[in-house]
Amino acid sequence: MSQALGRQLGSDKRVDDALVNAPLFHALVERLDDDERHVILDLGPPQSGTVALFSHFRCRLDIADLAANLPAMQRASEDDSPGETFAALLPPTHQEAADVILCWDLLNYLDRPGMKALMSELVKRGKPGTLVHALVVYSARMMPVLPNRYVPVDDHNLRLVSNSKETQAAPRYSPEDLSLCMPDYSLERAMLLRNGMQEFLFRL
Amino acid sequence: MFERGKKQPGDGDSQSTTGGADSGASSRGTPNRRSGPREAAVIGASIHIDGDVRGEEDLVIQGEVSGTVKLINNNLTVGRDGKVNADVHAQTVFVDGHVEGDLVGSERVCIRETAQVRGNITSPRVSLEDGARFKGSIEMDPAALDALLGRQKGVAKTATGPSKSGSTQSSGEQTAGKSRDLLAEAKTG
Repeated sequence: MSQALGRQLGSDKRVDDALVNAPLFHALVERLDDDERHVILDLGPPQSGTVALFSHFRCRLDIADLAANLPAMQRASEDDSPGETFAALLPPTHQEAADVILCWDLLNYLDRPGMKALMSELVKRGKPGTLVHALVVYSARMMPVLPNRYVPVDDHNLRLVSNSKETQAAPRYSPEDLSLCMPDYSLERAMLLRNGMQEFLFRL
Repeated sequence: MFERGKKQPGDGDSQSTTGGADSGASSRGTPNRRSGPREAAVIGASIHIDGDVRGEEDLVIQGEVSGTVKLINNNLTVGRDGKVNADVHAQTVFVDGHVEGDLVGSERVCIRETAQVRGNITSPRVSLEDGARFKGSIEMDPAALDALLGRQKGVAKTATGPSKSGSTQSSGEQTAGKSRDLLAEAKTG
């Protein structure tokens, strides 16, 4: 936790329930070399915190905002070739493979075929060693009907911003489910967060 | 790494930037004014332009423009009801409305909360307010920015592929350091 943030929480003398400590995200950011150029593909919506965080690195930040296209993705997952739809929803690659893919909460809103199609499409945008950071509902039986937003507060804390009060059943994908849907990725680490989300770090 | 003396995202105001905040611009529909009153041309809400827009004065677009917009030494504001389907190159670009096209700001690009942008942003200082809709790429690599903006600082570099050479790193770090200083200044100011 940053000192500034620690002071802020300390002075409030209360826990900020919306703040989620994400150790694997911290580990991922720690791996980014200050002197190397990186391409970050964020599948989530544009957020000031994400821009601010990665502005400290030599990088290009691609923002896909796939949550805005969730109905189209869910419809496409029922098609024979959803990959084409998914590819059209992603920003251009500019002939550079992504080094890091941020996939926060999105997978919870895709069925298995949809998840498989999306992650297969992302293989084409990555390279050996590309890291995928994902947050997946693990312990909660219900989740909001719309994906939450996770906003980086610093390099190891994400602030959860809920977009809906209505809930629906959570798929609660297990690591085995994810492995089956992501055969090209290897699971590096997984951690259960205090808000019931499982934090995953996959590698291509 | 991130916490070593660097400004943390989320500190201070709610706006984040790659290098600086929207300090001088009025909030809605008027261009940035840095040194006294500065008249801006206005493309009104009922005006539609198909073609290239160029000029030597600030411009506010409240109507619709398709084509290209080049105000190399001036500021462009796309008003809340403005619709731009064009690649844009200006000194500073403020977006409250709709843009489909690439945005190049030689000084700054500011995407405000009501904006809807689909395209790529190239600028040494980018601010993106929460609530804005954006799909595309934000180039934040100082070396790539120099190349894309046509600035020659030491060894020329391209936007693609990492560079590890000492001389180009030095060039990039100077720009990055400047950006970080500006960020800190904007956050604390």
